[in-house]
Amino acid sequence: MSATDSVKTEVFSQISQLLEDKSLTVTDDMPLIGGESVLDSMKLVELCLALEDKAADMGFEFDWTFDAAMSRSRSIFRTAGSLAAEFISQMEAKK
Amino acid sequence: MIVITGASKGLGRAICERLIEKNIDVFGLARNVEDVPFASMSCDVSSYESVKDVAQHLKKEGIKVSGLVNAAGIASMNLAVTTPQSVAQKIINTNLLGTIYCCQLIAPLMLRNKHGSIINFSTIAVALGLKGESIYAASKAGVEGFTRSFAREMADFNVRVNCIAPGPIDTSLLKGITAEQINKIVSQQIIPRQFKPESVADLVELLIDSRSDSLSGQVLHVGGA
Repeated sequence: MSATDSVKTEVFSQISQLLEDKSLTVTDDMPLIGGESVLDSMKLVELCLALEDKAADMGFEFDWTFDAAMSRSRSIFRTAGSLAAEFISQMEAKK
Repeated sequence: MIVITGASKGLGRAICERLIEKNIDVFGLARNVEDVPFASMSCDVSSYESVKDVAQHLKKEGIKVSGLVNAAGIASMNLAVTTPQSVAQKIINTNLLGTIYCCQLIAPLMLRNKHGSIINFSTIAVALGLKGESIYAASKAGVEGFTRSFAREMADFNVRVNCIAPGPIDTSLLKGITAEQINKIVSQQIIPRQFKPESVADLVELLIDSRSDSLSGQVLHVGGA
């Protein structure tokens, strides 16, 4: 497993821990915002805080407060896959 | 640590001094912090990026934030029809957006600890519908609405959000307002006298304390309205 795959697995694991329905499997296209979202808004905030902590452990700062993060069409929270991609991108940019 | 905006003068400064007196750590924010004799950082609350810099600094330094007092504000007593667009924009940007930006960016530092108190500032002009304060009152009515909704959003994280709405307090914000105008406003309060910054500091002290842990989403009118 590559380093980025392992980080993606870690992000998915954080999402998984917050799911009410434990039978669900986190997939790339699992929506995190909007009507189909598997997380309510409070769980989404908890996920952001958990990812901040994870990033700190990994030696970088995860920023989820920039404009595009919250935009519905461009949001990093569109899907579990887009969130993991953003997390990895910030990790690589801040290395 | 309590983060206080508008810390260089007026109510914000009085609140900082009171909390320091009570051995509470404060971190002041103001556009100009040259003469601020306690922990502080320059910040223009009407700029999202400027507030974000502060939030990142606090996070980087590992400062445990347990409170936020949004005391920064500007006023302009004028009829709406004679207020320049640039002034209207500045009032909304500082009073309303400044409060929203600080809440958006500094509240996450409290969510992590599942503990905190946020105090926003409105004005008695909202409740009394004062003539010559329509734009200022509009910006503060926005703060009141934001406070009530934001309080619900923060409740699950044990962060309380309240709003203090003073009448004409004796600070530099009142410069240019005649004693007659002040008396006219004060006469409309339930308690018809002008209060000092210390009375507002008393309320802030109470609202950041656990003694007020039953209060959230409330607007407290200094002097009564």
